[in-house]
Amino acid sequence: MIEAAERSRVRARAGRAASEPVAFLRRFDWVLLAAAFGLIGYGLWVVAGITRFDVPGDEGYYVVRQAIAAGLGLAALVVAAFVPLDLAQRRWRLLYGATLGLMVVVYAAAETVRGSKRWIDVGVIQFQPSELGKVLFVLAIAGFLVERAGRVTRWRTIGTALGLGAAPILLVFLQPDLGTALVYSAALLAVLFFAGVRWRQLVALVLVTGFAILASVWILPAAGVQVLKPYQAARLTLDPNADPSGLTYNLNQSITAVGSGGLSGRGVIEASQTRLDYLPEHATDFAFASLAEQRGFVGSSILLLLYLLVVWRGLRVVTVAGDLYGAVVAGGLVFAFLFQVFVNVGMTMGVAPVTGIPLPFVAVGGTSIVSNLFLIGILQGIHARGLLAGRSGP
Amino acid sequence: MSSGGAYRERRSPSGRFLPPDPRVREPYRLTPQLALRVGILGAIALLAFAILFFRLWSLQVLSGEQYLDAAQNNQLRLIRVEAPRGPILDRRGRVIVANVAGTAVQLWVGDMPKNRKARDAMVRRLASVLRVPPLALAQEVDQGRSDPLTPITVKTAVGEDPVNYLYEHQAEFPGVEIVQIYLRDYEHEALAAPILGYVGEISPEELRRLRREGYRAGDRLGKTGIEAAYDSYLRGRGGLAQIRVDSLGRPQSPLLLRQEARAGYALRLTIDTKLQRAAENALRYGIDLAHQDGHWAADGGAIVALDPRDGAVLAMASSPTYKPSVYVGKVDPKKLEPLIDEEAARRANYPGLNRATSGLYPPGSTWKPVTALAGMQEHIFSPYQSLQCSPVAYYGLDRQKFRNWNPYVNRSMTLVEALAESCDTYFDEIGNRFYESGTEGRILMQQWARRFGFGTTTGLDIGGEAEGLLPTPDWRRRTFESDWDRAWNPGDSIQLAIGQKDLLVTPLQMTAFYAMLANGGNLVTPYLVSDVEQPGGKGSPRVVLRRFAPRPPRSAGVDSGALAAVRDGLYVATHSRSGTSSGVFGSYAVPISGKTGTAEKVVPLPGYPSDHLEDQSWWCGWGPSSDARIVVCALIENGGHGSTAAAPAALRVFERFFGVEAPPSILVSVD
Repeated sequence: MIEAAERSRVRARAGRAASEPVAFLRRFDWVLLAAAFGLIGYGLWVVAGITRFDVPGDEGYYVVRQAIAAGLGLAALVVAAFVPLDLAQRRWRLLYGATLGLMVVVYAAAETVRGSKRWIDVGVIQFQPSELGKVLFVLAIAGFLVERAGRVTRWRTIGTALGLGAAPILLVFLQPDLGTALVYSAALLAVLFFAGVRWRQLVALVLVTGFAILASVWILPAAGVQVLKPYQAARLTLDPNADPSGLTYNLNQSITAVGSGGLSGRGVIEASQTRLDYLPEHATDFAFASLAEQRGFVGSSILLLLYLLVVWRGLRVVTVAGDLYGAVVAGGLVFAFLFQVFVNVGMTMGVAPVTGIPLPFVAVGGTSIVSNLFLIGILQGIHARGLLAGRSGP
Repeated sequence: MSSGGAYRERRSPSGRFLPPDPRVREPYRLTPQLALRVGILGAIALLAFAILFFRLWSLQVLSGEQYLDAAQNNQLRLIRVEAPRGPILDRRGRVIVANVAGTAVQLWVGDMPKNRKARDAMVRRLASVLRVPPLALAQEVDQGRSDPLTPITVKTAVGEDPVNYLYEHQAEFPGVEIVQIYLRDYEHEALAAPILGYVGEISPEELRRLRREGYRAGDRLGKTGIEAAYDSYLRGRGGLAQIRVDSLGRPQSPLLLRQEARAGYALRLTIDTKLQRAAENALRYGIDLAHQDGHWAADGGAIVALDPRDGAVLAMASSPTYKPSVYVGKVDPKKLEPLIDEEAARRANYPGLNRATSGLYPPGSTWKPVTALAGMQEHIFSPYQSLQCSPVAYYGLDRQKFRNWNPYVNRSMTLVEALAESCDTYFDEIGNRFYESGTEGRILMQQWARRFGFGTTTGLDIGGEAEGLLPTPDWRRRTFESDWDRAWNPGDSIQLAIGQKDLLVTPLQMTAFYAMLANGGNLVTPYLVSDVEQPGGKGSPRVVLRRFAPRPPRSAGVDSGALAAVRDGLYVATHSRSGTSSGVFGSYAVPISGKTGTAEKVVPLPGYPSDHLEDQSWWCGWGPSSDARIVVCALIENGGHGSTAAAPAALRVFERFFGVEAPPSILVSVD
C-alpha cells in the first residue's frame, strides 16, 4: 500500500514535469547544455577543416551532413529529457530486447565496410546501431540492477547482469567492432560500480576481465586458438615497431600528425598529414589526430576541456539524481563517455590501443552525434527531475 | 561470503539503527557510499585527462619540431597498385581486348619546387625530355595544385631513352615518378569499337555517384559499351603498396605490398571476331556499292547479326567508327575531337554513334511483314484474297495520290506475291482499312508493333539503346501545335503501313523482329555477354564464374497460319524471278529468306533544299530459310535501293557464316 502511494507520488512528480515544462526546463543543467552545444559548434568547425579536401569539388560535403545530424540530435535531446525515466526503468526488458534486436539487424541488413559490418544503409543516411545501442544498453542493465537493488551484492545478481551484458557485447565484438565492445564493457562495469557492487567483487571482475583480454591476445593464440583477428591483436599490444607488414602504419602517421601540429597548429592548407591522406580515416577514427595537426595544442586543448566539462557536470548529475536508477544510469553513461574519449584520443597519441571508436561530437557520422545528444538529454532529464524532487522533499 | 553479504545488506543503507521495515521502500537519498564512488570516478576522470594533456604537451610542444620535420618529408608513401583490367574474349575465346604493360611518367604537383620560377623551368625541361607541349603541361600543373592527391599523367608509353634520362637526373625532377601501368590493347584496332566502348579516367560526377562502391579519384573505369556495363567484373580490385621515399621523392625502399591487387575477370562475348570483321567489311562494301550506283551521300550504316534461337548477338557493325585506342593513355585531343565535340562529330558523320542500337531510321518496306501480321491478326484482310496492285491509288477526302515504286505493274496479288514484289499500293490498301476501322482500329497496328519490340528498347545488356518512334493519333495530338498537324489522316495510317513518314526504328529492333519471323514466332532479347570467367593462365583451365543465361524467348502470340504466309512471301522475295532480292540471293546455295527496304528520310545535304529526301537502303532476312541459324539486318545510310546496297552487304555476312561463297550476280535496282 505504501509502495502504491510512493509510486503515485512518483507519477505525480512526472506529471508535474509534463504540466510545468517551464519549471522543468529551468532545472536543466545549463552548464552541461552549454558544454554540449559548445562541442557541437566546435566539432562542426573542426570537421569543416579536416574534411575540406575529402570530396573533390564539394568542400562542405561532410559538414552539411553533420549539421543535419546535429539538428536531428537536438530533437533527440529534447525527447530524451522529457520522457520520464521511470518508463525506461519499468520497461528495461523491452530496451534490452531492442538493444539485442539492433545488433541482430546489423547482421541481417548491414553492408560490409572494410571487412566489418557496422552500418545499415537507410536511404540517404547510414545508421550505425552500435552507437545508439550504447545508450539503450546502459538503460537496460541499470534497470535490471535497480530492480534487484536489495540483492545487488549477491554473486547471483552480478552473474545475471554479466550474462545480460555479455550477449550484446559479444555481438558487437563479432561485427567485428572491438572498440565498441570495449566501450560496452566499460559501461557495464560502471553500472555495476554505481549500483553498489562491493569493492572486492569489483576487483575480482576487473581481474577476470584483464585475464580474458590477456588470454585472447597472448595465451590462446599461443595455444593455437585465434580469438582476435591478427590486426586487432597487433593493435592491442601497442607496439609500433613490432610491425613488419605495416599494421601500425596508421599509428605512426597519427603520432606524426599530432606532433607536427605544435603549439598553434599547421592550419588546414599546410596540414599535409591530413590533406595528403597520409593519415587514414582522418574524418572518423583519427579525427583527433587531424584536429591536433591542423589546430595544434591550443585547438586540441579546447576540445579536451569541453569534454572534461561534460564529464564533470555529468558526475554532478549522479549526485543530484532523484532516484537510484537515475544515479546509476547517469554514472554508466558518463563513464562510457569518458572511456570513449580517453580511448579514442589516447589511441591517436599511442597511449591507448588502436580501435575503431568514434570521437564523440567530432567524428563524421550521423548516428554518433545523435546518440551523444540523446545521452546529454537523458542526463538533463535526470538532473531536472532530481531538482524537482528535491524541491517537494520526501 | 554470500551469507555475510546477505546479512549486511539488510542493514539500512543510510546507517540508521532500527532494522528496516521490509514493507517500506526507503525514499532515495544519496548515500555516502555513492558519493564516495562519484568522487573516485571524478579522480579517474582527472587522471585520464591529465594523461592526455601531458602526452599532448610532450608530443606537440616538447618534440613538435621533430615531428614537423618528419611530416614535412614524410617518408612513407602509400601507392595504389592498379589491378590489370580483365580481357574481353569473343565466343570462341579469341582475345579482342587485352592489356599491355606500359611505362608512364607521372608528376606529383605537391612535391615540385615551391618557387614558381623553378617550377616553370622544371616543367619546360620535362616537356622537352618527353616531347610533350610545354604550355599544356604548365596549365595542367596549375590545375593540379588544387588536388595534390592525384598525380598528373604527363605521358604514357614512354620510350627507354627518356626513362633512363629521368632516372639519371632524378634529383633535378622532384615529384616525377616513373610507374608501370596497364594499357588497354586493341589487337584488332577498330573492330567492334562501339560495342566494346572505352575506358577513361573517372569524372567528378561519376566519382560522387560511385564513391560508395569503392571508386577513388584517378581510377579508370569503363565509360560506354561493355566496358561500362560490366565494369564491376572487368576492373578487379586495386592493391596498396607502401614505399619509403626521401624528401625529393626518391624511393629508399622496395615496394612493400600491404594489399594484393586482384586482376579483373574476363568477359566472354557472343560475338564471333571473324563474323564481326566480315560484317564490318560488308558494311564498307555496301557503302562502296552505293557510291558506284551514284549515291554519293552514302557514308554510314549498320549491320546486326543475331542467333534467332536465343538472341545472341553474333556481329554488330556500325560505320563510321573509331579506334578505341585514341582513349588509351595520354589522350591526343585532336584524335578525340570527332568523339566529343559536336561540330567535329557532325563533320565526321558521328563516329561515336552506335548506329545499330541508337541510329534511328524509317524502315520502309522491311516493315511490311509487321503490317501483314497485324492485318491478318485483326482480320483486316485475308492472305489469299487478292488485292489490286495498281501503279497509283487515291485515298482520303482530298483524293491524295499514292504511287507504287514500280509503275509497270497492274494486277491483283495475294499477300505472298505482294511481299515478294514489295507492292506499295497493296499495303496502302491495308493501311487505309486500318484507318477506316474507326478510332480504335487506327492504333491496332501500333499495338502489334509494340508487342514485336518497336517503340521501346530491346533490352540489350549494354544499354545505350534508342527507343525509336511509333506514331499514334495520340502522339500526334501531344506533339504538334497546329490543328492540321495534330490530326491523324488516312495518309498517316497508309504511310505507316509501308514503314514511312514518322516511324523510326533502330537496326537492332528490326533484327530482333526478323528473328521472331525466323524462329517461328518467339521474341528474343538480344545479348552480348555470355559469361564472366577467371582467365585460365598457362596450363590452368579457365573457370566460369557467372553465366548470363539469355532471357528465354517468349511467344509473340502470332497465329501460325499468318506467320507461314509472311515467311512464304519472304522466301519468294529472294527466289522468284520477280522477287525484290532474288538477284542477290536467288542463286546462293543456302536458302535465304528476306525483305528489301528503301525508305525515304529527310537528310539535310549541302546544296539541296532543307526537306531533301534520301533513300535509306535496308535488307533484313535469315538463313537457312526453314531452319534459321542466323538473322541479319543491313542498313546503308543514303544508300539508295535495298537491293543494290544493303542486300549484297548482307550476303557477305551469310557467306562468312555458312562458309559458302555466292556466284557473281548482276544487281538490279528494285525496292
